[in-house]
Amino acid sequence: MRKKDMTKNVEKKFLPEISRKEMDELKNTVKAASLKIIADNIERMKKADPHRPEAMKYFDNIANLFGQRQEEIQAEKEKGKKVIGYMCLFAPTELITAADAIPVRVNSGWYDTSKLGDRVVPVEVCPVIRSTIGAKMIELSPFLEQSDALISVLTCDGMTKLSEILADTKTIWGMNIPRVKDSTQSLRFWNDEIKHMKNQIETFTGNKITRKNLKHSIEISHRATKVFRRLQELRKGNPVIMGRDAMLVNQTYSWDDKQRWTEKAEALCDELEKRAANKDWVVSPDTPRVMVTGTPMFWPDNWKLPTLVEEGNPQGIIVADEQCSGERILNDPIGIDEWSMDDMLNAMSERYLMASTCPCFTSKDGNEDRINWLTTKVKDWKVQGVVYYVVRGCMLYAMEYARVKKALDKINVPVYYLDTEYTREDVGQMKTRIEAFLEMLNARIDL
Amino acid sequence: VAGELIGDILRLTVLAGLGTAGILAILIWKKNLAMRVTFLRLVIQAVAFAAIFYMYTYSALIPMLYELIVLFAITIVLGRYFCGWLCPFALIMDIESLVRRALKIRYRIIPDRLNKALHKSRYLILLAFLLIPVLLWFLDPQELLISPLVALRLAGHYSAYSILLDPLITLIVPWTGPITVAGINLSYPYVQNIIAYTGSEVGQYLAISFVAITLFGAFFIRRAWCRFCPTGISLAAVSQIRGLRVYVDKNEEKCTKCGVCKRVCPVQVTEVYEQKGGKILTSQCMVCARCVEMCPYEDALRIKLGKKTVFRSRNWLKPSNDE
Repeated sequence: MRKKDMTKNVEKKFLPEISRKEMDELKNTVKAASLKIIADNIERMKKADPHRPEAMKYFDNIANLFGQRQEEIQAEKEKGKKVIGYMCLFAPTELITAADAIPVRVNSGWYDTSKLGDRVVPVEVCPVIRSTIGAKMIELSPFLEQSDALISVLTCDGMTKLSEILADTKTIWGMNIPRVKDSTQSLRFWNDEIKHMKNQIETFTGNKITRKNLKHSIEISHRATKVFRRLQELRKGNPVIMGRDAMLVNQTYSWDDKQRWTEKAEALCDELEKRAANKDWVVSPDTPRVMVTGTPMFWPDNWKLPTLVEEGNPQGIIVADEQCSGERILNDPIGIDEWSMDDMLNAMSERYLMASTCPCFTSKDGNEDRINWLTTKVKDWKVQGVVYYVVRGCMLYAMEYARVKKALDKINVPVYYLDTEYTREDVGQMKTRIEAFLEMLNARIDL
Repeated sequence: VAGELIGDILRLTVLAGLGTAGILAILIWKKNLAMRVTFLRLVIQAVAFAAIFYMYTYSALIPMLYELIVLFAITIVLGRYFCGWLCPFALIMDIESLVRRALKIRYRIIPDRLNKALHKSRYLILLAFLLIPVLLWFLDPQELLISPLVALRLAGHYSAYSILLDPLITLIVPWTGPITVAGINLSYPYVQNIIAYTGSEVGQYLAISFVAITLFGAFFIRRAWCRFCPTGISLAAVSQIRGLRVYVDKNEEKCTKCGVCKRVCPVQVTEVYEQKGGKILTSQCMVCARCVEMCPYEDALRIKLGKKTVFRSRNWLKPSNDE
């Protein structure tokens, strides 16, 4: 695929022509609203935990999408670095960093832009997709605008067409992911895709991905996963961190500088360990422990569910999540046997394809890995209730609910199906539903 | 005198080497979680190598029947522990792998189906190995001094070691080996047998090609010979006795099927990946514990002896320091 000349007025196949004036107007309104929401979310997170760890300050800062990180990336770009965005987690970010480019995740969590996306795709489409389209239409998302190329992994229907729509203005590299994940031919196919992506990234950035570079960037990921796991271990015990805080920390990894993120998360874990030693719990230890699974929840707008759970009356605490916006980002390390180029690429393709618990997959036993992983999470994190969060239009998650429900029923853990939209209108109604669920959990604990 | 001196120097070198290897192993044990067991295994292999070398070179020869009995006894409890942790021939192959790793050359794998077929036809392979002397005897009866039937009764031709114990043959042997350098007799597993059974003329060429093929094969394919080895096959057969036997235990719920266990296995065992959890007992497994060592999920894989956990998978996430 050739890089399109941005200055030339390329005919757009999907996106409507919006005048610069209207675009700027919309952008400024949404951006102003969004800044307010970011500040408001953080404010509420601060309020929820009076002894909020010092280290969270850094993540609050990085969480401002229009702030420090945007400027940093801009500065790097001016120095000649390329920025490569990606939508799904299957994009091999290690290859991007190995080629001295910056990986950023560009999925959008803005509610307002999803309305704009309705002009291009019908309202039945998953709001994550619509919102990303909307963000593109008014050039809102800083990372999406900054990225020189996008890796789009064709996981669900939405992502497939989203890549076509974004191709109106961006260079898109599609990666075809096999749906049956546990067969040798799938792995071979995916391995070829990864190798091809490596070549593409090399040509695009002009930097060769050498064995040393790749090893270095895999080690960076390893370190990050190590810290992530440390944080996870801490969340297994009595609550020392609000679920929202931990979720934000996990999510910032997808646009932050990986090494710096690791350091800061390390500092956070140090603080939390002290806190655990002092028995300074963030909420009472008998608060219902909730796990969230389902559709990804993207910062900043789509933060209503964790907020409602943790500010509800009775209160709940999120101790784990199983989402590609959360723990799935860092859960699985790349298991390298020998540090040869070939083995590293093999290990990467296995990690991205086989270790994932995305519902877009099926295998001999259906998507059993996800069920198993959920069960393990429930047991290890002593989860007392699961909220199955689905945004309307997210077919894969919605359809897998029945199986998850049965599996969780078997181990006697209540699960609550919560469907919503990219909108603030249903917050009141959601509050009632979540509080009823938490009430029920509380009653179960008392029994 | 010169031979004795060289022998002394060799012994000292072996000792010094073992010492360094031990220290190295401790260092790696501390630093690199992902290479721990592998290096421990290499050290144990080296110790076993030295012990077997000493046993053959400087002490009275132990009747091979006893050796076989000991091996079989080990196998009943520990599975093919001998193959993974003690076999001198395996050490040669593992060192080759290390050299290959250092040269950053990738390994090749043989197709899973072929590997499985080899495993399934293990009794046929064993039979073929045991029949080779008989066949060769029919081809060229003059060359043999003892009837092949005696060879089959676990008594080799020139040596007391026959096909079933040949991987035990170390590089330096007390008897007249095929190659003599500065008074030291060098040998290589199976080479003596090949020469003995086929006569020295043909045998020498066959032996050279065998050495070449196995060295070359093991360089590119991890543990190449282990897939054919008659000793391994007989031990595999013995390890089918399921009493108190070491096994890999898989916790299905903790497994995400990431496939690491399948990839790192030097003999390409797929059962650990494919089986849905519980006891994994395959006679292909050599208990090298590489899969358990590399499994990134806490407690997903365990090596168990009876009810006791010997070794379990844990969070190995620490970057390598071995380069």
